[in-house]
Amino acid sequence: MGWLALAYALLVALCLGSLIQEDELSMGRNPIANLLKTAGDFAHPSFLDVWLGNPALEYRSDDGTLLRVENRQDVERNYLAGLAEATWTTLRIATLGSLLGALLSLPLALLTARNLAAPRPLAWLAKGILDVVRSIHTLVFGLVLVGIVGLGPTAGILAIGLHSMGTYGKLFSEAIESLDMAAINAVRSVGASPAQVFLHAIWPAVMPQFISSHLYIWEFNIRDSTILGIIGAGGLGLLITEATSLFQWGRLSTVLIVVVILVASFDAMSRRIRAALL
Amino acid sequence: MSAPVIAMDSLVCAAGGRTLLDIAELRVQPGERVGVVGPNGAGKSTLLRALSGFMPPMHGQLEVLGHLLQTALTAAELRQLRQEVGQVLQGLHLVARLSALDNVLIGCLGRISGWRHWSRRFTATENAQARAALQAVGLQTRAATRADQLSGGERQKVAMARLLMQQPRLILADEPTAALDPAAAIEVCQLLAQAARGATLITVVHNPALLAGLADRVIGLRAGRIAFDLPVAEVSEALLAELYRPASEQQNQRQPEALATPPNHSIEVCS
Repeated sequence: MGWLALAYALLVALCLGSLIQEDELSMGRNPIANLLKTAGDFAHPSFLDVWLGNPALEYRSDDGTLLRVENRQDVERNYLAGLAEATWTTLRIATLGSLLGALLSLPLALLTARNLAAPRPLAWLAKGILDVVRSIHTLVFGLVLVGIVGLGPTAGILAIGLHSMGTYGKLFSEAIESLDMAAINAVRSVGASPAQVFLHAIWPAVMPQFISSHLYIWEFNIRDSTILGIIGAGGLGLLITEATSLFQWGRLSTVLIVVVILVASFDAMSRRIRAALL
Repeated sequence: MSAPVIAMDSLVCAAGGRTLLDIAELRVQPGERVGVVGPNGAGKSTLLRALSGFMPPMHGQLEVLGHLLQTALTAAELRQLRQEVGQVLQGLHLVARLSALDNVLIGCLGRISGWRHWSRRFTATENAQARAALQAVGLQTRAATRADQLSGGERQKVAMARLLMQQPRLILADEPTAALDPAAAIEVCQLLAQAARGATLITVVHNPALLAGLADRVIGLRAGRIAFDLPVAEVSEALLAELYRPASEQQNQRQPEALATPPNHSIEVCS
């Protein structure tokens, strides 16, 4: 243990030292002022303008000519409607992607679970597939898939499904490996058919763990899919990209509040379902 | 006289280069109650596994309830054999997440055929039978309790109720009282004797005090061979002491055996 801790300390020192030496650890020219300005923008989320906005904001050119009049309240109200639709898209991408990943991973989990003793080459192949897809980020899958199936939620669903397949496969096969084999043998010993062994012994034992893992990864994917819009898969990520590239921190603040509410409420719900299952 | 329930002739079971069981001849008639005794590693659990068809290929002749076990059975034959052979194993092998009643209902799975394989529904008759079986072991009030919430003694009783539900012709019990306190052990033995009424009962026993209640005939196993085969009345303490006397000098090594699980831990869903 001692030398591992030492090696870790050395690695940290090396990372920090080399960055300082290359002069890459600067904080910019006036970080404090920038921080205060950004924080101020964030503190005024754009949705407040639905009530507080200027109903007749006048845009004038330099010589004072009136270019147009904008109702800020209407503009932000429309933005909120767009935001609702984007949230719905994100939720749909995450839900379908998670289900796709769970379904894809099931056969692979069955092959990799050690106590099921699948043929070795197949087990290795399945394990290889799971390891590869788990190590490729959703965004990378998304970028590749956008090139294949085009822009839109399809790419997002496939990207989420492919990446989370790896995580599902690992969790599912662990659930299968923790099965009580003696109880399964006891059910077989009364002359139960394979289907009955599955229905009466295997399924009741793994189902709660499967559902629990599913809720967990589903929740994770909701967070993950908010970023997918960046690569053109639609949803909240698109609004995040838009807001950041236009430096509209107020709007970004609104979007992030929605993300937090979405994730937190899903978390509360899934926690309750998990508690009821155990 | 009817055909024997068990007929063994020059049976040899070997695994990993070691002979586990080597029995020249053994006949068990219907309705007999046989106790099997012997030190650890004598082949008691192997004998039960061989009889239940959970055993790898072997040499010699083994006929159980009319099924020839030395050849590979078809899946259907194996199912039928297992339905007729009730097993009470060392552990308390209930499905943890199912209720006591559902665990008892598992006993009749072998009798279910056709499309009902694929459903988890049971008929009203089966449900009534299961409730009656739970009542017989005194657990009718615990029917809806999940198996992992039951105490050790209650679980073993549920296993007995499952056995009652199964109505097997041959019962193989491996240390049915291993994990129980003396009072519960006696109660479970009585239930086992009750479940075995009209069936053939073969019990692996470590506690000689329980022999009389569970067996009329006692077989002593040592190093895979039959050391003695006597009516229970003729089994003396000296005989048992001689049987358990270790080859080396470790007199008091009488741990409960830990070989209930077969060496192969895979789920043989297709067998």
